[in-house]
Amino acid sequence: MARILIRLNENLVPEPVVSEVILENNILVAILSAHINSKGGEIVLEVPDEGVDKIVAAFRQKGATVTVPKLIEVNSDRCFSCGSCVALCPVEAISVAEDLTIEFNKEKCVGSVCSICVDACPARAINSRFSNTENLRSSNGHREK
Amino acid sequence: MSTQNQKTRTIEEINHKILKGDAQVLTAEEMKKLVESSGVEVAFKEVDVVTTGTFGAMCSSGAILNLGHADPPIKIQRAWFNDVEVCHPGGAVDLFIGATNFCEKKPFEYGGGHVIQELVAGNEVELRATAYGTDCYPRTAVKTTITKDDLNQFYLLNFRNCYQRYNCAVNCGDETIYTYMNKLLPHMRNATYSGAGEFNPLMNDPDYETIGFGTKIFLGGGQGYIIGAGTQHSPKNLNGTLMVKGDAKTMSPEFLQGAAFTRYGTSLYVGLGIPIPILNEGLVRKTAIRDTEIFTDVIDYSVMRRDRPKLRQVSYAELKSGIITVNDKRVRVSSLSSLKMAKKVAQTLKDWIDEGQFALTSPIERLSLDTVFKPMRQTQEIPFVSNVMHPAVTCMENEEIRVIAERIVTKSVNHIVVISSDGKLLGIVTSWDITRAMAESKNVLADIETRKVITAHPDEPLENASKRMAQHNISALPVIDSERKVLGIVTSEDVSKLLGR
Repeated sequence: MARILIRLNENLVPEPVVSEVILENNILVAILSAHINSKGGEIVLEVPDEGVDKIVAAFRQKGATVTVPKLIEVNSDRCFSCGSCVALCPVEAISVAEDLTIEFNKEKCVGSVCSICVDACPARAINSRFSNTENLRSSNGHREK
Repeated sequence: MSTQNQKTRTIEEINHKILKGDAQVLTAEEMKKLVESSGVEVAFKEVDVVTTGTFGAMCSSGAILNLGHADPPIKIQRAWFNDVEVCHPGGAVDLFIGATNFCEKKPFEYGGGHVIQELVAGNEVELRATAYGTDCYPRTAVKTTITKDDLNQFYLLNFRNCYQRYNCAVNCGDETIYTYMNKLLPHMRNATYSGAGEFNPLMNDPDYETIGFGTKIFLGGGQGYIIGAGTQHSPKNLNGTLMVKGDAKTMSPEFLQGAAFTRYGTSLYVGLGIPIPILNEGLVRKTAIRDTEIFTDVIDYSVMRRDRPKLRQVSYAELKSGIITVNDKRVRVSSLSSLKMAKKVAQTLKDWIDEGQFALTSPIERLSLDTVFKPMRQTQEIPFVSNVMHPAVTCMENEEIRVIAERIVTKSVNHIVVISSDGKLLGIVTSWDITRAMAESKNVLADIETRKVITAHPDEPLENASKRMAQHNISALPVIDSERKVLGIVTSEDVSKLLGR
């Protein structure tokens, strides 16, 4: 499975873009997160590996911007396993191992579009693509355009 | 003395064994298992020392540094390490770095805790200092770089460490808040707690029988001493604290880590471990304490008061399970302090004793058992929303706009709060909304009311409510309780009457 980030501009918001892409390509996708308002939107999809190229091309043809978002990066040298991040993760991608080490499951992690854990790390051991931007640090974890 | 009372041993006897290399040392974790499997008597016979540990954010930590004199000499008035301002509490070149002071260029992100960690790690830090200049200390500015080797003294000096236990924090409000208990999502979507529970040093000797002034301890990866009860020491309700000191030059950056809490500021994570000599069977029982027996309060941090609502009591066993239930809601809970590092502290201390590198000390004075932690004496009380709010003029959603307009006139108000039949907040209508409805010939309340209402809570400082009004450019806030029931309204007029603006 691969994760892709779809950005819709305001003209595309009223269109059933996702449904069209699914029907026209006959490929099922899972919507992991979606933030849409009248000005535009961001949708994270999980797509089967063999269908990624077709899906990406189909969204681009409809005028959407498609990127493959980088996942959250954890600097294990800085992490001292406090566990502040564990209960915040909406998809339970962070867990406490038997020896009390904090473990990140990159497969489960939704990636930088979520980033809810980033500003809760006292060791500043978690980084995402947007971690240096002010709007991430001051938001509720979800980036808004 | 009867022979039955000879079930004791002394610290001298234990130290003698440590020197010979045959003292029996267990970590707190191992001790609990032994007592459970073999009982108190066996454990007393077999164990001489139990090592405990904790590793958490301890904000009231800092370090004293002596720089030595510059040429010509300077009596420092203000000084900065890596742009973090430090204080100058004493003579010319003695400085104190507090963990929570943060850098002017990287506010909230880099602070005194990080400077201490860098110095302990052997890194170079930049010093800037200014002074007014005197006949004996003529210099008015200095800029240099230093490492810990350049300092005459570099003492860690923490005036409140090692809290016996701590609160569990939740947020029942509508917005994410950032606190010293870290990020708390709205509507209790997460909880945080701190403390090592059954591994905590003071929890394993809750009567401070062996832990006191002069006890030698593991501090920040080096050796230090307890120099008294910490500030806010409150032993009666199991909130004991310690004041500690140690030579930071011998410490390790693994056990002293600078930390940043978003929108709260910086701190220092401190590793602290205490050896508990098993002098009698009572201490066996005390060191056998389990997380199921240690309780703390779940506290709602959305209430901006000194005394915040306590929602329930939870045990550390529940907290460490990762899930607690509060008001019938399952809440995922995370630790702020590191249990992994706490265990490493206890293990390292055990290794030191096993290797004969660490002997025990008898305290020269006991810690107080009855100090209370008093609130601040305030000569001026600050106003809260509940002090100025008044009953709101309300309407139901099915009322005609004409009727509402009449109510605005007869009650002489600008805001009507729209409520449900059970008194809960649905929306707000202003006289301006009504005027516009007339101009645009709209007759239905639903078309003109504002549904995303900015609100206030009765326990909120008035100042906060006032700021929120200014921020959203509005002149009134409905006051609601945690179930969104309307309690009243507070207006900018109320604020200006009381706060004079």
